Amino acid sequence: MRNTKKLFMLVAVILALVLSACSNGASSEQAQDAGSMDNQESTAVDLASLGIDCSEYSAEYAKGPNGEDAVPASDVTLSDEEIAEIQAGNYTAALLWAGAGEWYNGLTDGAQAVFEELGIAVVATSDAQFDPAKQATDVETALALQPDIILTLPVDPVSAAQAFQPAVDQGVALVFADNGVDGYAAGDQYIGIVTGNHYGMGRGSADLMAEALGGSGEIGFIFYDADYFVTNNRDFTFACRIAQDYPDIKIVAVSGFTEESKTEEVASAMLVQHPEIDGIYVAWDVAAEGVIAALRSAGQTDVKVVTEDLGANNDLDMVMNGNMYGKTIDLPYDIGATMARMAAYKLLGKEAPSFVVVDLMKVTKDNIVEAWNKALNMDPPQDILDALAK
Amino acid sequence: MMDIRKRIQSFNLQKYVVYLSFILILLFFGVTLKDKGFLSGGNIMNVLRQTAMVSVMAIGMTFTITAGDIDLSIGSTVALSALVSALALRSYSVIVAVLAGLAVGFVVGLVNGVITAKVRIPAFLVTLGTSGAISGLARTITNLEAVPITNDSFNFLFGSGNIGSFSTLFIWTIILTIIGHLLLKKTPFGRAVHATGGNRSAARYSGVHTDRIRIIVLIISSLTAAMAGLLYAGRLHGARYTLGEADLMTVIAAVVIGGTAFSGGKGSIIGSIIGSIIMGMLNNGLLLMGLTVSEQMIARGIIIIIAVSLSLREKLER
Repeated sequence: MRNTKKLFMLVAVILALVLSACSNGASSEQAQDAGSMDNQESTAVDLASLGIDCSEYSAEYAKGPNGEDAVPASDVTLSDEEIAEIQAGNYTAALLWAGAGEWYNGLTDGAQAVFEELGIAVVATSDAQFDPAKQATDVETALALQPDIILTLPVDPVSAAQAFQPAVDQGVALVFADNGVDGYAAGDQYIGIVTGNHYGMGRGSADLMAEALGGSGEIGFIFYDADYFVTNNRDFTFACRIAQDYPDIKIVAVSGFTEESKTEEVASAMLVQHPEIDGIYVAWDVAAEGVIAALRSAGQTDVKVVTEDLGANNDLDMVMNGNMYGKTIDLPYDIGATMARMAAYKLLGKEAPSFVVVDLMKVTKDNIVEAWNKALNMDPPQDILDALAK
Repeated sequence: MMDIRKRIQSFNLQKYVVYLSFILILLFFGVTLKDKGFLSGGNIMNVLRQTAMVSVMAIGMTFTITAGDIDLSIGSTVALSALVSALALRSYSVIVAVLAGLAVGFVVGLVNGVITAKVRIPAFLVTLGTSGAISGLARTITNLEAVPITNDSFNFLFGSGNIGSFSTLFIWTIILTIIGHLLLKKTPFGRAVHATGGNRSAARYSGVHTDRIRIIVLIISSLTAAMAGLLYAGRLHGARYTLGEADLMTVIAAVVIGGTAFSGGKGSIIGSIIGSIIMGMLNNGLLLMGLTVSEQMIARGIIIIIAVSLSLREKLER
């Protein structure tokens, strides 16, 4: 009896595996048609099969989540009288970020520099660790201190509507980085959104890739597989720019990821099936660390990687002429500073622009120090400076 | 006579169930993905390399769970140990940096162990608490910034190097597996660990120093986490406070799939390593099949549930 039950369970395992293969056979066949499993002749991936419609990404700047036009951050300024008026107000602010890291440190530093100038005290800081529920808790907790201003990056545009309602009800001056919130309108519940130039960054990365490859080659495309405004804009404009402006560069392999710590597995699998790849685009810096580790393990020292955002580990690799070739970055220090000024607009009763965009920079080994200075208002780590000096 | 023979037969089959699952999954992917490079040497070494950190931590977790406790702080210990050794490498030699990283594991394990065994708070709660504290510490020591590592010897030894066609990650896994297996199965200490987990009061009455055992296994668990931190740092040529944060559930799953009883008293190091490799193979195979991320998650979840029900079912019937 016991042996029969065991046999039955074994058969069940086999059946489950076979079933999962069959039901997913359709999607893997699609992937086969879209991509290439034949190493001898790689065909370019058809972007339409990935759901990317390049006509949607043809404008110079991305529009805001409610269709707002982009305004450059240099337009957001305060006169000396306005600064004095704010200083007299003894206002307070809370910084409630979505996550943590060098980029968020940049936001904080930029915001605090402007707040210092304006005599505004920062009474609370927090990091929601990308958890919408934690963000809701952070908002409630911060509101107990009755801040006049909240600068934040909404983790999830859908649940953020509920999370920030108490702040809206209390009349707090809300400024968002990167994301909007569903159902909220600029000038209404919040002042405006400040973000990077997504389309410019995606296209800049494409230009860097072309530079790295000398204008022709085959590349892999590792994108963030989620409905996330910022990365979708950047990733898809990269792909569209490559497809439209660089006919000799083909995207032959595509893989999405959702966990930035798992990209090594994604890249290893890609290299197994496409050992001829010359370059890889990765959605952002931390995710690119795993990809570079995979390239090192596979001994692929010539494959060039292009990504977005600064990061000490990959920047060092770039300076040492490793796999990392270049990055396009936004300027988090400027984003933070602009957000602080936008908050001041509301306190002064001035109307602020709804969707503000900061500059971008294309970064390679040659301008890495300038990039850290401009984006993060600090020098790169000593290891990078030492490597540059050699 | 017939009854005894049947009982011996069924007992052996139960022990081999996790290996059977491993062979089944290997065969399945080997056949369906034969054109996609699944069984190529490079890909197999990929899987072994990618699972090394989880395997190493699973060795430590096997000791802890066998002794009837658990360690939820391993993820944070990975990050802190990686950062401490990366920082130490800036001014000191590789040996000092490695000892510094391992010392982090030792201290964390000691704190976990003493509070659990002497203050008598369940390990689950203690390690939950220390996990938060260590995580916070890891974030503060470099203000969230990553620490690159330029020391080639360290990077070679702890993750990026190859000896012949074998990654140093794989070699470390083998060495630590052998040590762990011998310790758990062939020494009086190992028997004491089993006894402590099987029935703590009975063990104590038969002369086992259960407090000391519990402290030691928590130290072992944190030491393996610290080792995993060194391997991460060597593999990525740098340390970051986010290292290891997603690994806890994978490590526990590897240990349980491998046949270690969650309630304590029965543990298998080899089983845990096989469990870790099974999960690595699943990740790798589903990726190579071209599934989207969502499809991979669903398929992986279903297959793991079935694999676990297979091995757990056997125990209930006994």
